[in-house]
Amino acid sequence: MSQVLHPIEHKIIKTLKQTPDITHEEIAKNAQLAIDQVRRGLEWLKYKNLIEIHESEVFFVSLGKNGKEALEKGLPERKLVNYLAKHRVCTFEGARAALLESEFNAAISNARQNGWIEITKSQNTNIISLKDDTTKSSEEELLSILVNRTPVSEIKNKSALEFLKKRPDFIMLDSIKTTVVNLTSQGLETATKLSETVGERKLTTEMLTSGKWKESPLAPIDVEATAAEVFAARSHPLQDVINEVREIFASLGFAEISGNLAQSSFWNFDALFTPQDHPAREMQDTFYLKDTSANKVATPNQIAKVSESHKKGWHYNWKLEEAKRMVLRTHTTCVTIRHLAYNNPDEARIFSVGRVFRNEKVSYKHLVEFNQVEGVVVGKNVTLRDLMGLQREFYYKMGLKKVKFWPTFFPYTEPSLQSMVYNEKLGKWVELFGMGIFRPEVTKPLGITNPVLAWGGGIERIAMLKFALGDVRELYNNDLGWLRSVPKCP
Amino acid sequence: MPVVTLYFNRLQKLLGKKTSQEKIIFTLPFIGLDIEEQTKDHISVEYSPNRPDYSTDYGIASGLQGLLGIKTGMPKLKIKKGKYSIRVDPSVRKIRPFITSLVAKNGKLDDETIRQIITMQEDLHNGIGRRRKKTSIGIHDLDKIKFPLTYTTVDRGYKFVPLTSSSEISISEILQNTDVGTKYGNILGNSQKVPIILDSAGNTISFPPIINSNLTTISKNTQNLLVEITAIDKNAAEDTLAIVANALQDAGFAIYSTKISGANNSTPLLNSRKIVLGVDLVNKTLGLDLSSSTIVSSLRKSRLDAKSQGNKIMCTIPKYRTDILGIMDLVEEVALGYGIQNLEPTMPQSVSAGQKNKITKALDSMSAIMVGLGYFEAMNFSLVSKEVQYDLTKKNSSKMISVIDSKSQGHTILRDTILPGLIDTLSRNIHETYPQKLFETGVVFSKGSNEIKEEIHLACVCAYNDVSFSEVKSILQSVFKTGFGLQCTTQMTSDTMFSEGRAANIVINNKIVGVIGEISPEVIDNFKLRIPVAGFEAKLTGLIFD
Repeated sequence: MSQVLHPIEHKIIKTLKQTPDITHEEIAKNAQLAIDQVRRGLEWLKYKNLIEIHESEVFFVSLGKNGKEALEKGLPERKLVNYLAKHRVCTFEGARAALLESEFNAAISNARQNGWIEITKSQNTNIISLKDDTTKSSEEELLSILVNRTPVSEIKNKSALEFLKKRPDFIMLDSIKTTVVNLTSQGLETATKLSETVGERKLTTEMLTSGKWKESPLAPIDVEATAAEVFAARSHPLQDVINEVREIFASLGFAEISGNLAQSSFWNFDALFTPQDHPAREMQDTFYLKDTSANKVATPNQIAKVSESHKKGWHYNWKLEEAKRMVLRTHTTCVTIRHLAYNNPDEARIFSVGRVFRNEKVSYKHLVEFNQVEGVVVGKNVTLRDLMGLQREFYYKMGLKKVKFWPTFFPYTEPSLQSMVYNEKLGKWVELFGMGIFRPEVTKPLGITNPVLAWGGGIERIAMLKFALGDVRELYNNDLGWLRSVPKCP
Repeated sequence: MPVVTLYFNRLQKLLGKKTSQEKIIFTLPFIGLDIEEQTKDHISVEYSPNRPDYSTDYGIASGLQGLLGIKTGMPKLKIKKGKYSIRVDPSVRKIRPFITSLVAKNGKLDDETIRQIITMQEDLHNGIGRRRKKTSIGIHDLDKIKFPLTYTTVDRGYKFVPLTSSSEISISEILQNTDVGTKYGNILGNSQKVPIILDSAGNTISFPPIINSNLTTISKNTQNLLVEITAIDKNAAEDTLAIVANALQDAGFAIYSTKISGANNSTPLLNSRKIVLGVDLVNKTLGLDLSSSTIVSSLRKSRLDAKSQGNKIMCTIPKYRTDILGIMDLVEEVALGYGIQNLEPTMPQSVSAGQKNKITKALDSMSAIMVGLGYFEAMNFSLVSKEVQYDLTKKNSSKMISVIDSKSQGHTILRDTILPGLIDTLSRNIHETYPQKLFETGVVFSKGSNEIKEEIHLACVCAYNDVSFSEVKSILQSVFKTGFGLQCTTQMTSDTMFSEGRAANIVINNKIVGVIGEISPEVIDNFKLRIPVAGFEAKLTGLIFD
C-alpha cells in the first residue's frame, strides 16, 4: 500500500492526532474541510487501514426545573449572601425567615464551604456574618454554562457537576450515539512521520502564468489507487460481426445489394420454384402481413414464365393471388433473385445482408427475426468446386481454418451442399452456411442464362461462436452490463 | 426435418456385407443424412424432405450400398400381376378423385419392421402427402378383405368400427370426437358425402384420409398386405405408391398389382423414366473432367442406371426417386456418387472490385459518430409487440401493421418508429449504472395506399438525472453537421410520447424529418423507469440516402 496521502487525508490525520475520538463534524470543523471531503477522505483512510471508525455514546448535560430557577434567582447560598449584604450579620432565625425552609440547610452549609460566611456562637445563638470575598462559586459558573445543552466532555469542573447533580432537579442528563473516528496504530505511525507541508494538489493555469509552480511543488498522489469505471461507447457486437462479414465479401470482389424486408410471395417463394402448397409457405412457418397484398409483383412476362415453370415441374394450378400475398422475407434470396431477374448480368459477384423472419417460438436456439448473409456469383464458367473454394476462402478470412462439405437439399439449388467448420473452442464440427447452384427451373423463367452460385446463412450463429454465447436471444437483449463489458476484439 | 432411427445390427444385415459402424457413420452424411443422435446400438438421422425414400432403413441401406460399392445401379421393382381389383365410383370426383393400390404377400412383420413401416407412412403423410391433404396411405391385412373393392362415397351418418375401436361409430362422430378426425377432418370440407373403401362383402375397409377400419388392422402375424393410396393428385399418389412398394419389397414381400378402373382412374405402372445427360454439362457444372465411364459408375453408385452413348449418358430413374426433376438433379447424383469429399475446392478469378452499398456506408458513418458522442448501439427487433410500440408510449395505433398468427406474443406487429424499443431497452437495464445512452438505426414500416413502405431511421435515448432537451439537441445537431454537413432546427410541437412544451419537430432542409424531446413522466412511469429520459428519432431515408 502506498503511503502517499491526498491533502484531505493529510489534514484528517493531523486533526485526529491532536484530538482522537471525534465525530465527522468535529473533524470538519478542526481540519477546515467540507463534510463531503471528510467523508471521502475517511473512506480512503479506512481502506488504507489508517483509521478506525466506531460507535460511541456522547452524554449531554442541561438544566432541570430547579436549576433553571436557581439560575434566575440565585442559589440558596447566594440568596443568603445577598440578604447578609444588607444586614451584615444575622441570627439563624433571621436567615431562616429570609429563605425558604427547604433552602436553609443548603444555604448555610454551602455558603460556609464557599468561604462566604462565618458562624459564631453568642449566648446560645448562632450569628452569621458575611466575609469579604463572595466571588462566584464554581457551581454558579457551571449553571451559567449549562444554559445551553453541553456535552459532558466539555465540562471542566467535574466536582461542580457532581455537586449540582446531588441537588434535586437541578441537572438533566441525556445521551446520543454517534460514530467517532480514531487513528489505528498504523495511522498513529503515519501521523508521526507526516511532513508539515502538503504541496499543491493541482496544476492550474494561474500557477503556470504566475510562475508559482517554481516555489510550491505538486503533491504526490496515490497513483495506485482505484479509479472510477467509465464505459467506452461501442457499436453492437452483432453489428461488428455483420460488418466483418461485409468487409470479407467486399475484399472478395462482391458488391452489396439490399432490398425490402416485406416482399411478395412471388419473389420470396414462387420465383424460387417453391410450389404454392409447399409446407414452408404455410402460416405456421411464415409471417404473412394482414390486409395487404402486392399491387404489381413482377412483369407480365416474368409472371407468365414462373407460372409455366410451376405447372410443368409441380403439376398444379398456379395462382397469381397466392403470389401477391405479402410476407416478411424468410431469406435474403428473394432480394438476390429479384436483382438478377431485373438486371440480368452475365457476370456478377453480389451479396446482401439483412433481417429475415420465421414464424417460430422464440427459444435459446430460435429467433423470429435474425440476420442472414447471402453471396452470389454469376458467370459462364463458374463451377461447384468454385463455390466450395469461395466458402473456404470466406471461412479462412473469418479465422476458421478447417472446413468440410456434405451434400444437402434446398428447394431452389441443385447441386446443394452444406459446409461444416471445426470450432476449436467447442472441439467439434459446426454446421454453417448452405450453398448450391440455382436450379434451371429458377433461372430459366427469369431469363438468367449463366450458372448462379449461391451461398449463405445466419450470422447470429457465427456471433454466438465468437462471443461464446449459449443462447441466441442474448444478442438482442441489449443488456448494458454485457454491452459495456464484452471485448471489441474477443 | 423427419428423423429415422437406424439399428446397427439390422442395418448391417440389410447392407448384405460386413461393414464397420465407423464406416457407416462416416458415409451417412455423404448420402445427405445428418446425424442427430448416436448411441451404442443405434443412430438417428435426419433426411431431407426431397428424399422420402429415405423414410425407412431399407431406403437408407439401399443408398449406402451404392456409395459403399456393395450394390450399384437401379434397384429393380418386380411387380407380379395380381387378381385384385378396385372399382372407382364417379361420386369421389369432387372430394378425393384418385386411388392407387398394390398387394404385398408372403412377408414377415417383426416389431421393428412394423415400426419402420408406420414411420414411413407418417413421414409420407406429412411430406409428399401435405398432411394427408394431397395423398394418404392405408395399409391393411389382405386376408380380411374380400375383393373386388369399391372406392365410393357415403353420407356422414354412415357407421363402421374404426381402428382401435370396438363399436360402430358414425362418420360425423369420428370427425368430431377422435384425434385424427379433428386433426384431418377439415380436408373433407363441408361436403355431405365422404370417401369410403368397401369390400365385396360390404365391409368397410377404410375412411380416407382419416382412419382405417378395425377389421383390417395389421399385427406381427400378418403375412399379406393391401396398400391403398387415395389422393387429389394422381402423380403424387403413384410416387407414394412406388416408395412404399420398394420399401416392402426390401422388407421381403412379393409385390402384386391391383387393377384399378373407373372415373379416370387406372392401374399404376410405376415404370422408370429415361433422361439424357450431357457429359459436358456434368463437367462444366462440377468443375471436373470426368470420363463417360466414371460418370456412369458414379450414377450407378447413386442407385440409378446409366449407359454412355458418345457424349451423352442415358440415365434410367426408378419411379420412387421423386426428387429427380431434371438434368441438374442428375448432375448432383454424379457428384454424390463420385464423392463430395473427392471434390477439391478451387477459387474462381474475380472479375470485379467489391464494395459495400451507399446505405451501408452512410449507416457505418452514422454509427461511428454516435459512438464518438458516447452512445452505445442497441439492436432491437422490427417485429415487436403492440404493448411496447403503442400502449405504453400512448401512440396512435390506427395504422398498425400486423402479421397473421404469430407464434410469439412479443412479435406481432411491425414497428413504425424505433424510440419505443429503445425506451423498452432502458426499462430492461434499470439495474445498470447511469447515465445510459443508446442509439439504434434500422428499418421502420408504414402503410402506403396498399403497399408497405420501408424507411431507415436513427433514434437515440439518453437517461440520467440531469438529462435535458438541450443535451439531446446538441447531439442531434452534431450528428447531422459532423456526419453529413446538414443544419437542423427544432420547432415546437406536441406529441403523446413527450412532455407538453418539451417536444419539437426536427427540421432539415425545410422538411420535418423527425421528433425530439423529453419523454413524458407518464410514459417513463409506464415503462417502470425511475429516471428522466430524453431522445430523438429522425428519418434518414431521403435525407442521407435514397
